Amino acid sequence: MRLAAQIVVAYFMLLLLSAVWRLFPWSELVPDIAVLIAAYLGLTAREQAAPSVASAVLIGYLADLLFGTPTGLIALISGLTCTACHLIQGRLLVRGSMFTTVFSGLIALAAGLFTILVRSFAGLLPPGWGSEFGTLALSVVITALLGPIVFRTCRYVDSRFARTRRERDAAASGMIG
Amino acid sequence: MLFKRKHLDYALAGLLLLLPAVILRSSLREPVNQNGFDRAVLRISSPLQAAASWVVGGLGGLFTDYVWLVNVEDENDELRATNLRLREELGQLRGAAEDLAVLEELVDLKRSTQAETAAAHIIASSINSHFRVNRVRIDRGDAAVEVGMPVISAEGLVGRILHSYGTHSDVLLVSDPQSSVDVVIEETGGRGLLRGVASDDAYFCEIEYLEQGKTVRVGDKVKTSGLGKHFPEGLLVGEIASVDSARHGLYQKVTVKPAVDFSSLDTVLILLAPPPPSDPGRAQNNKSKAAHGVEPF
Repeated sequence: MRLAAQIVVAYFMLLLLSAVWRLFPWSELVPDIAVLIAAYLGLTAREQAAPSVASAVLIGYLADLLFGTPTGLIALISGLTCTACHLIQGRLLVRGSMFTTVFSGLIALAAGLFTILVRSFAGLLPPGWGSEFGTLALSVVITALLGPIVFRTCRYVDSRFARTRRERDAAASGMIG
Repeated sequence: MLFKRKHLDYALAGLLLLLPAVILRSSLREPVNQNGFDRAVLRISSPLQAAASWVVGGLGGLFTDYVWLVNVEDENDELRATNLRLREELGQLRGAAEDLAVLEELVDLKRSTQAETAAAHIIASSINSHFRVNRVRIDRGDAAVEVGMPVISAEGLVGRILHSYGTHSDVLLVSDPQSSVDVVIEETGGRGLLRGVASDDAYFCEIEYLEQGKTVRVGDKVKTSGLGKHFPEGLLVGEIASVDSARHGLYQKVTVKPAVDFSSLDTVLILLAPPPPSDPGRAQNNKSKAAHGVEPF
Protein backbone atom coordinates (compact mmCIF):
# COMPACT_ATOMS: atom_id res chain seq x y z
CA MET A 1 0.00 0.00 0.00
CA ARG A 2 2.84 2.30 0.91
CA LEU A 3 4.52 1.62 -2.42
CA ALA A 4 1.27 2.17 -4.31
CA ALA A 5 0.92 5.55 -2.62
CA GLN A 6 4.48 6.40 -3.53
CA ILE A 7 3.74 5.46 -7.14
CA VAL A 8 0.62 7.63 -7.24
CA VAL A 9 2.40 10.59 -5.66
CA ALA A 10 5.32 10.11 -8.02
CA TYR A 11 2.92 9.98 -10.96
CA PHE A 12 1.37 13.31 -10.01
CA MET A 13 4.76 14.88 -9.41
CA LEU A 14 5.91 13.72 -12.84
CA LEU A 15 2.65 14.86 -14.39
CA LEU A 16 3.01 18.31 -12.88
CA LEU A 17 6.63 18.49 -13.91
CA SER A 18 5.86 17.48 -17.50
CA ALA A 19 3.06 20.05 -17.69
CA VAL A 20 4.70 23.09 -16.17
CA TRP A 21 8.42 22.69 -16.67
CA ARG A 22 8.18 23.82 -20.28
CA LEU A 23 6.93 27.19 -19.04
CA PHE A 24 10.21 27.95 -17.35
CA PRO A 25 13.10 29.54 -19.24
CA TRP A 26 15.45 26.72 -18.24
CA SER A 27 13.06 24.03 -19.51
CA GLU A 28 15.82 22.08 -21.26
CA LEU A 29 17.32 21.16 -17.90
CA VAL A 30 14.88 18.64 -16.45
CA PRO A 31 15.46 17.29 -12.94
CA ASP A 32 15.57 13.49 -12.60
CA ILE A 33 12.61 13.25 -10.26
CA ALA A 34 11.86 9.63 -11.13
CA VAL A 35 15.42 8.58 -10.39
CA LEU A 36 15.35 10.42 -7.05
CA ILE A 37 12.15 8.65 -6.04
CA ALA A 38 13.65 5.36 -7.17
CA ALA A 39 16.69 6.08 -5.01
CA TYR A 40 14.44 6.81 -2.06
CA LEU A 41 12.55 3.57 -2.61
CA GLY A 42 15.83 1.67 -2.75
CA LEU A 43 17.07 3.31 0.43
CA THR A 44 13.84 2.63 2.29
CA ALA A 45 13.17 -0.90 1.03
CA ARG A 46 12.80 -3.20 4.00
CA GLU A 47 13.51 -6.90 3.75
CA GLN A 48 12.64 -7.37 0.08
CA ALA A 49 14.09 -5.35 -2.78
CA ALA A 50 11.86 -6.68 -5.54
CA PRO A 51 8.72 -4.67 -4.67
CA SER A 52 10.70 -1.46 -4.49
CA VAL A 53 12.48 -2.23 -7.74
CA ALA A 54 9.16 -3.01 -9.39
CA SER A 55 7.77 0.29 -8.13
CA ALA A 56 10.86 2.15 -9.32
CA VAL A 57 10.62 0.53 -12.75
CA LEU A 58 6.95 1.46 -12.95
CA ILE A 59 7.63 5.07 -11.93
CA GLY A 60 10.43 5.23 -14.49
CA TYR A 61 8.14 3.82 -17.12
CA LEU A 62 5.52 6.45 -16.33
CA ALA A 63 8.23 9.07 -16.60
CA ASP A 64 9.18 7.69 -20.00
CA LEU A 65 5.59 7.99 -21.16
CA LEU A 66 5.03 11.47 -19.75
CA PHE A 67 8.39 12.93 -20.76
CA GLY A 68 8.49 11.31 -24.17
CA THR A 69 11.81 9.54 -23.74
CA PRO A 70 12.25 6.10 -25.33
CA THR A 71 10.12 3.80 -23.22
CA GLY A 72 12.24 1.78 -20.88
CA LEU A 73 15.14 4.22 -20.58
CA ILE A 74 14.18 5.99 -17.35
CA ALA A 75 12.55 2.77 -16.17
CA LEU A 76 15.84 0.92 -16.53
CA ILE A 77 17.82 3.70 -14.86
CA SER A 78 15.31 3.92 -12.05
CA GLY A 79 15.41 0.18 -11.49
CA LEU A 80 19.20 0.15 -11.42
CA THR A 81 19.28 3.15 -9.08
CA CYS A 82 16.79 1.54 -6.75
CA THR A 83 18.80 -1.68 -6.67
CA ALA A 84 22.08 0.13 -6.08
CA CYS A 85 20.56 2.20 -3.27
CA HIS A 86 19.10 -0.90 -1.70
CA LEU A 87 22.54 -2.51 -1.71
CA ILE A 88 24.08 0.44 0.12
CA GLN A 89 21.19 1.23 2.45
CA GLY A 90 22.80 -0.53 5.37
CA ARG A 91 25.88 1.66 5.18
CA LEU A 92 24.28 4.97 4.33
CA LEU A 93 21.85 7.22 6.14
CA VAL A 94 20.58 10.03 3.94
CA ARG A 95 19.51 12.80 6.33
CA GLY A 96 19.81 16.53 6.43
CA SER A 97 19.34 18.96 3.57
CA MET A 98 23.01 19.28 2.72
CA PHE A 99 23.74 15.59 2.51
CA THR A 100 20.47 14.92 0.69
CA THR A 101 21.44 17.57 -1.85
CA VAL A 102 24.86 16.03 -2.40
CA PHE A 103 23.42 12.53 -2.56
CA SER A 104 20.78 13.67 -5.08
CA GLY A 105 23.48 15.26 -7.18
CA LEU A 106 25.50 12.05 -7.22
CA ILE A 107 22.44 10.00 -8.13
CA ALA A 108 21.63 12.45 -10.94
CA LEU A 109 25.24 12.32 -12.15
CA ALA A 110 25.23 8.54 -12.29
CA ALA A 111 21.85 8.50 -14.02
CA GLY A 112 22.99 11.11 -16.53
CA LEU A 113 26.18 9.24 -17.36
CA PHE A 114 24.23 6.04 -17.79
CA THR A 115 21.78 7.83 -20.10
CA ILE A 116 24.68 9.12 -22.21
CA LEU A 117 26.09 5.58 -22.31
CA VAL A 118 22.78 4.12 -23.47
CA ARG A 119 22.38 6.83 -26.06
CA SER A 120 25.87 6.20 -27.38
CA PHE A 121 25.13 2.48 -27.65
CA ALA A 122 21.89 3.24 -29.45
CA GLY A 123 23.62 5.72 -31.74
CA LEU A 124 21.45 8.56 -30.48
CA LEU A 125 24.19 10.99 -29.46
CA PRO A 126 24.65 14.04 -31.68
CA PRO A 127 28.01 14.53 -33.46
CA GLY A 128 29.29 17.29 -31.18
CA TRP A 129 28.20 15.62 -27.98
CA GLY A 130 30.74 17.35 -25.77
CA SER A 131 28.05 19.83 -24.84
CA GLU A 132 26.04 16.93 -23.37
CA PHE A 133 28.32 17.05 -20.36
CA GLY A 134 27.58 20.72 -19.82
CA THR A 135 23.88 19.96 -19.92
CA LEU A 136 24.47 17.02 -17.58
CA ALA A 137 26.28 19.24 -15.09
CA LEU A 138 23.44 21.75 -14.99
CA SER A 139 20.88 18.97 -14.77
CA VAL A 140 22.80 17.49 -11.85
CA VAL A 141 22.72 20.85 -10.09
CA ILE A 142 19.00 21.31 -10.57
CA THR A 143 18.26 17.72 -9.48
CA ALA A 144 20.45 18.19 -6.42
CA LEU A 145 18.58 21.35 -5.49
CA LEU A 146 15.23 19.59 -5.78
CA GLY A 147 16.46 16.47 -3.99
CA PRO A 148 15.54 17.53 -0.44
CA ILE A 149 12.01 18.49 -1.54
CA VAL A 150 11.45 15.14 -3.27
CA PHE A 151 12.84 13.18 -0.33
CA ARG A 152 10.72 15.15 2.12
CA THR A 153 7.60 14.46 0.05
CA CYS A 154 8.39 10.76 -0.06
CA ARG A 155 9.03 10.70 3.70
CA TYR A 156 5.72 12.45 4.26
CA VAL A 157 3.93 9.73 2.28
CA ASP A 158 5.79 7.07 4.27
CA SER A 159 4.85 8.69 7.54
CA ARG A 160 1.17 8.52 6.57
CA PHE A 161 1.48 4.75 6.34
CA ALA A 162 3.36 4.28 9.59
CA ARG A 163 1.75 1.82 11.97
CA THR A 164 3.02 3.43 15.18
CA ARG A 165 3.90 6.91 16.29
CA ARG A 166 7.51 5.91 16.57
CA GLU A 167 7.52 4.66 12.99
CA ARG A 168 5.85 7.88 11.85
CA ASP A 169 8.44 10.07 13.55
CA ALA A 170 11.22 7.91 12.19
CA ALA A 171 9.82 8.09 8.67
CA ALA A 172 9.33 11.82 8.83
CA SER A 173 12.90 12.34 9.97
CA GLY A 174 14.35 9.99 7.38
CA MET A 175 15.26 7.23 9.76
CA ILE A 176 13.56 4.45 7.80
CA GLY A 177 16.09 2.26 6.15
CA MET B 1 15.62 -20.28 4.43
CA LEU B 2 16.32 -16.60 4.82
CA PHE B 3 19.32 -16.94 2.51
CA LYS B 4 17.09 -18.57 -0.10
CA ARG B 5 14.51 -15.84 0.18
CA LYS B 6 17.20 -13.20 -0.21
CA HIS B 7 18.45 -14.80 -3.40
CA LEU B 8 14.97 -15.16 -4.72
CA ASP B 9 14.39 -11.49 -4.01
CA TYR B 10 17.51 -10.45 -5.88
CA ALA B 11 16.66 -12.79 -8.77
CA LEU B 12 13.25 -11.22 -8.98
CA ALA B 13 14.77 -7.76 -8.90
CA GLY B 14 17.13 -8.79 -11.68
CA LEU B 15 14.24 -10.02 -13.76
CA LEU B 16 12.42 -6.77 -13.10
CA LEU B 17 15.45 -4.93 -14.38
CA LEU B 18 15.51 -7.02 -17.52
CA LEU B 19 11.99 -5.98 -18.35
CA PRO B 20 12.75 -2.27 -18.98
CA ALA B 21 15.92 -3.24 -20.77
CA VAL B 22 13.92 -5.34 -23.20
CA ILE B 23 11.31 -2.61 -23.56
CA LEU B 24 14.06 -0.06 -24.17
CA ARG B 25 15.64 -2.21 -26.84
CA SER B 26 12.27 -2.63 -28.48
CA SER B 27 11.39 1.04 -28.32
CA LEU B 28 14.74 2.04 -29.78
CA ARG B 29 14.08 -0.22 -32.74
CA GLU B 30 10.42 0.71 -33.19
CA PRO B 31 9.82 4.05 -31.45
CA VAL B 32 6.21 4.37 -32.69
CA ASN B 33 5.01 1.16 -31.11
CA GLN B 34 2.73 1.63 -28.12
CA ASN B 35 1.04 -1.02 -26.08
CA GLY B 36 -2.32 -0.82 -24.38
CA PHE B 37 -0.82 0.24 -21.08
CA ASP B 38 1.01 3.14 -22.77
CA ARG B 39 -2.14 4.29 -24.49
CA ALA B 40 -4.18 4.05 -21.30
CA VAL B 41 -1.65 6.01 -19.27
CA LEU B 42 -1.39 8.71 -21.91
CA ARG B 43 -5.14 8.91 -22.30
CA ILE B 44 -5.56 9.48 -18.59
CA SER B 45 -2.55 11.77 -18.30
CA SER B 46 -3.20 14.09 -21.23
CA PRO B 47 -6.24 15.91 -19.76
CA LEU B 48 -4.52 16.14 -16.41
CA GLN B 49 -1.40 17.56 -18.06
CA ALA B 50 -3.54 20.05 -19.97
CA ALA B 51 -5.32 21.10 -16.80
CA ALA B 52 -2.06 21.52 -14.89
CA SER B 53 -0.56 23.44 -17.76
CA TRP B 54 -3.63 25.67 -17.98
CA VAL B 55 -3.59 26.42 -14.26
CA VAL B 56 0.14 27.10 -14.09
CA GLY B 57 0.05 29.00 -17.39
CA GLY B 58 -2.78 31.13 -16.00
CA LEU B 59 -0.81 31.82 -12.85
CA GLY B 60 2.20 32.64 -14.99
CA GLY B 61 0.05 34.96 -17.10
CA LEU B 62 -1.20 36.62 -13.92
CA PHE B 63 2.39 37.20 -12.94
CA THR B 64 3.45 38.55 -16.32
CA ASP B 65 0.28 40.62 -16.81
CA TYR B 66 -0.20 42.00 -13.33
CA VAL B 67 2.54 41.39 -10.79
CA TRP B 68 5.34 42.24 -13.19
CA LEU B 69 3.54 45.50 -14.06
CA VAL B 70 5.48 46.94 -11.13
CA ASN B 71 8.51 46.73 -13.38
CA VAL B 72 6.51 48.31 -16.21
CA GLU B 73 5.94 51.37 -14.05
CA ASP B 74 9.68 51.71 -13.50
CA GLU B 75 10.20 51.18 -17.21
CA ASN B 76 7.63 53.89 -17.97
CA ASP B 77 9.43 56.33 -15.67
CA GLU B 78 12.69 55.49 -17.37
CA LEU B 79 11.13 55.96 -20.81
CA ARG B 80 9.62 59.28 -19.74
CA ALA B 81 13.00 60.46 -18.53
CA THR B 82 14.60 59.30 -21.76
CA ASN B 83 11.89 61.03 -23.78
CA LEU B 84 12.45 64.28 -21.87
CA ARG B 85 16.20 64.05 -22.32
CA LEU B 86 15.83 63.35 -26.05
CA ARG B 87 13.42 66.29 -26.43
CA GLU B 88 15.92 68.55 -24.71
CA GLU B 89 18.69 67.26 -26.94
CA LEU B 90 16.49 67.76 -29.98
CA GLY B 91 15.73 71.32 -28.91
CA GLN B 92 19.41 72.00 -28.34
CA LEU B 93 20.29 70.55 -31.72
CA ARG B 94 17.59 72.59 -33.43
CA GLY B 95 18.86 75.68 -31.67
CA ALA B 96 22.41 74.82 -32.70
CA ALA B 97 21.26 74.32 -36.28
CA GLU B 98 19.54 77.71 -36.26
CA ASP B 99 22.63 79.32 -34.73
CA LEU B 100 24.71 77.67 -37.41
CA ALA B 101 22.46 79.02 -40.14
CA VAL B 102 22.73 82.51 -38.66
CA LEU B 103 26.50 82.21 -38.39
CA GLU B 104 26.71 80.99 -41.98
CA GLU B 105 24.75 84.03 -43.10
CA LEU B 106 27.03 86.19 -41.01
CA VAL B 107 30.14 84.63 -42.54
CA ASP B 108 28.72 85.20 -46.01
CA LEU B 109 27.98 88.79 -45.08
CA LYS B 110 31.45 89.24 -43.67
CA ARG B 111 32.98 87.86 -46.86
CA SER B 112 30.84 90.04 -49.06
CA THR B 113 31.49 93.16 -46.99
CA GLN B 114 34.59 94.98 -48.02
CA ALA B 115 34.84 96.94 -44.80
CA GLU B 116 36.55 95.78 -41.67
CA THR B 117 33.95 94.25 -39.39
CA ALA B 118 33.49 92.71 -35.98
CA ALA B 119 30.78 90.23 -35.10
CA ALA B 120 28.67 90.60 -31.99
CA HIS B 121 25.85 88.77 -30.27
CA ILE B 122 22.65 90.39 -29.12
CA ILE B 123 22.57 89.83 -25.38
CA ALA B 124 19.59 91.99 -24.39
CA SER B 125 16.97 94.31 -25.72
CA SER B 126 15.03 97.18 -24.28
CA ILE B 127 11.58 96.25 -23.13
CA ASN B 128 8.75 98.69 -23.24
CA SER B 129 5.08 97.92 -22.94
CA HIS B 130 4.12 100.53 -25.51
CA PHE B 131 6.81 100.22 -28.10
CA ARG B 132 8.51 97.41 -29.89
CA VAL B 133 12.15 96.81 -29.19
CA ASN B 134 14.09 99.76 -30.53
CA ARG B 135 17.43 99.27 -28.85
CA VAL B 136 19.50 96.18 -28.35
CA ARG B 137 22.62 95.41 -26.39
CA ILE B 138 25.58 93.61 -27.91
CA ASP B 139 28.62 91.89 -26.41
CA ARG B 140 31.22 94.24 -27.93
CA GLY B 141 32.54 97.10 -25.86
CA ASP B 142 34.53 100.24 -26.19
CA ALA B 143 37.77 98.36 -26.82
CA ALA B 144 36.59 97.53 -30.32
CA VAL B 145 33.75 99.85 -31.21
CA GLU B 146 33.01 103.54 -31.16
CA VAL B 147 29.78 105.44 -30.83
CA GLY B 148 28.11 105.93 -34.17
CA MET B 149 29.55 102.87 -35.95
CA PRO B 150 27.02 101.18 -38.28
CA VAL B 151 25.61 97.82 -37.31
CA ILE B 152 24.35 95.47 -40.00
CA SER B 153 23.01 91.94 -40.35
CA ALA B 154 22.60 89.59 -43.26
CA GLU B 155 19.24 91.19 -44.07
CA GLY B 156 20.40 94.76 -44.03
CA LEU B 157 21.01 97.79 -41.84
CA VAL B 158 20.29 97.32 -38.14
CA GLY B 159 21.24 100.66 -36.69
CA ARG B 160 24.26 102.33 -35.11
CA ILE B 161 26.17 102.19 -31.87
CA LEU B 162 24.48 104.48 -29.37
CA HIS B 163 26.55 103.86 -26.28
CA SER B 164 29.67 101.86 -25.67
CA TYR B 165 30.77 100.89 -22.19
CA GLY B 166 33.03 98.20 -20.88
CA THR B 167 32.50 95.06 -22.84
CA HIS B 168 29.05 95.95 -24.08
CA SER B 169 27.37 98.47 -26.36
CA ASP B 170 23.85 99.64 -27.07
CA VAL B 171 22.62 99.74 -30.64
CA LEU B 172 20.06 102.28 -31.74
CA LEU B 173 17.82 100.53 -34.24
CA VAL B 174 16.73 102.31 -37.40
CA SER B 175 13.14 101.94 -36.19
CA ASP B 176 13.83 104.09 -33.14
CA PRO B 177 12.36 107.61 -33.37
CA GLN B 178 15.76 109.01 -32.45
CA SER B 179 17.39 107.35 -35.43
CA SER B 180 17.87 109.20 -38.70
CA VAL B 181 19.49 107.75 -41.76
CA ASP B 182 20.02 109.45 -45.11
CA VAL B 183 18.50 107.05 -47.66
CA VAL B 184 17.94 106.74 -51.35
CA ILE B 185 15.21 104.82 -53.15
CA GLU B 186 17.04 102.45 -55.44
CA GLU B 187 14.51 102.38 -58.30
CA THR B 188 13.91 106.15 -58.63
CA GLY B 189 16.91 107.74 -56.99
CA GLY B 190 14.74 109.81 -54.69
CA ARG B 191 16.46 110.81 -51.47
CA GLY B 192 15.17 111.48 -48.01
CA LEU B 193 15.78 111.14 -44.33
CA LEU B 194 14.63 107.88 -42.72
CA ARG B 195 13.30 108.17 -39.19
CA GLY B 196 11.94 105.51 -36.91
CA VAL B 197 8.29 105.38 -35.96
CA ALA B 198 7.41 104.47 -32.41
CA SER B 199 4.75 101.99 -33.35
CA ASP B 200 3.48 99.63 -30.67
CA ASP B 201 2.68 96.75 -32.96
CA ALA B 202 5.28 96.76 -35.73
CA TYR B 203 8.68 98.02 -36.74
CA PHE B 204 8.20 100.92 -39.13
CA CYS B 205 10.11 103.96 -40.39
CA GLU B 206 9.15 107.01 -42.35
CA ILE B 207 11.03 108.87 -45.04
CA GLU B 208 11.01 112.59 -44.46
CA TYR B 209 11.71 115.21 -47.03
CA LEU B 210 10.92 113.06 -50.04
CA GLU B 211 9.82 115.49 -52.73
CA GLN B 212 6.35 115.17 -54.22
CA GLY B 213 7.72 114.91 -57.73
CA LYS B 214 9.64 111.71 -57.07
CA THR B 215 7.68 108.62 -58.10
CA VAL B 216 7.63 106.02 -55.33
CA ARG B 217 5.99 102.62 -55.44
CA VAL B 218 5.24 100.15 -52.73
CA GLY B 219 7.98 97.52 -52.65
CA ASP B 220 10.78 99.79 -53.83
CA LYS B 221 14.09 99.12 -52.12
CA VAL B 222 15.43 101.73 -49.76
CA LYS B 223 19.21 101.89 -49.23
CA THR B 224 21.65 104.13 -47.43
CA SER B 225 22.81 107.01 -49.57
CA GLY B 226 26.26 107.32 -47.99
CA LEU B 227 25.56 110.92 -47.13
CA GLY B 228 25.46 111.90 -43.55
CA LYS B 229 27.99 111.00 -40.98
CA HIS B 230 27.24 107.45 -39.98
CA PHE B 231 26.44 104.98 -42.77
CA PRO B 232 28.30 103.89 -45.89
CA GLU B 233 26.51 103.84 -49.20
CA GLY B 234 24.37 100.96 -50.46
CA LEU B 235 23.25 99.23 -47.27
CA LEU B 236 19.75 97.86 -47.63
CA VAL B 237 17.41 99.47 -45.12
CA GLY B 238 14.02 98.17 -46.16
CA GLU B 239 11.30 98.55 -48.71
CA ILE B 240 8.47 100.99 -49.23
CA ALA B 241 5.38 99.81 -47.35
CA SER B 242 2.98 102.67 -48.16
CA VAL B 243 2.96 105.97 -50.01
CA ASP B 244 0.80 109.00 -49.26
CA SER B 245 1.26 111.56 -52.04
CA ALA B 246 -2.05 113.35 -51.51
CA ARG B 247 -0.81 115.43 -48.68
CA HIS B 248 -0.40 119.11 -49.22
CA GLY B 249 3.10 120.43 -49.13
CA LEU B 250 6.43 119.78 -50.71
CA TYR B 251 7.06 116.27 -49.47
CA GLN B 252 5.38 112.87 -49.64
CA LYS B 253 4.71 110.69 -46.66
CA VAL B 254 6.30 107.30 -47.21
CA THR B 255 6.49 104.46 -44.70
CA VAL B 256 9.26 101.89 -44.89
CA LYS B 257 9.28 98.36 -43.57
CA PRO B 258 12.78 97.56 -42.32
CA ALA B 259 14.54 94.68 -44.04
CA VAL B 260 15.73 93.34 -40.70
CA ASP B 261 13.36 91.48 -38.39
CA PHE B 262 14.55 93.01 -35.14
CA SER B 263 12.52 90.66 -32.98
CA SER B 264 14.53 87.64 -34.09
CA LEU B 265 17.89 89.32 -34.38
CA ASP B 266 20.68 87.29 -32.79
CA THR B 267 24.02 88.16 -34.35
CA VAL B 268 25.19 91.34 -36.04
CA LEU B 269 28.25 92.80 -37.68
CA ILE B 270 29.75 96.13 -36.68
CA LEU B 271 31.42 98.06 -39.47
CA LEU B 272 34.69 99.12 -37.86
CA ALA B 273 36.14 100.82 -40.91
CA PRO B 274 34.67 101.87 -44.24
CA PRO B 275 35.27 99.75 -47.33
CA PRO B 276 38.47 100.55 -49.24
CA PRO B 277 38.01 103.19 -51.92
CA SER B 278 37.25 102.00 -55.42
CA ASP B 279 39.52 104.71 -56.82
CA PRO B 280 43.07 103.26 -57.02
CA GLY B 281 44.52 106.75 -57.06
CA ARG B 282 43.45 107.19 -53.50
CA ALA B 283 45.39 104.13 -52.42
CA GLN B 284 48.40 106.25 -51.59
CA ASN B 285 46.50 107.80 -48.81
CA ASN B 286 44.52 104.85 -47.60
CA LYS B 287 44.69 105.52 -43.95
CA SER B 288 41.22 104.77 -42.72
CA LYS B 289 39.21 107.62 -41.50
CA ALA B 290 36.61 107.08 -38.90
CA ALA B 291 34.23 104.31 -39.93
CA HIS B 292 31.31 106.58 -40.36
CA GLY B 293 30.66 106.95 -44.06
CA VAL B 294 31.33 110.10 -45.97
CA GLU B 295 31.65 113.48 -44.41
CA PRO B 296 28.74 115.77 -45.26
CA PHE B 297 29.29 118.83 -47.40
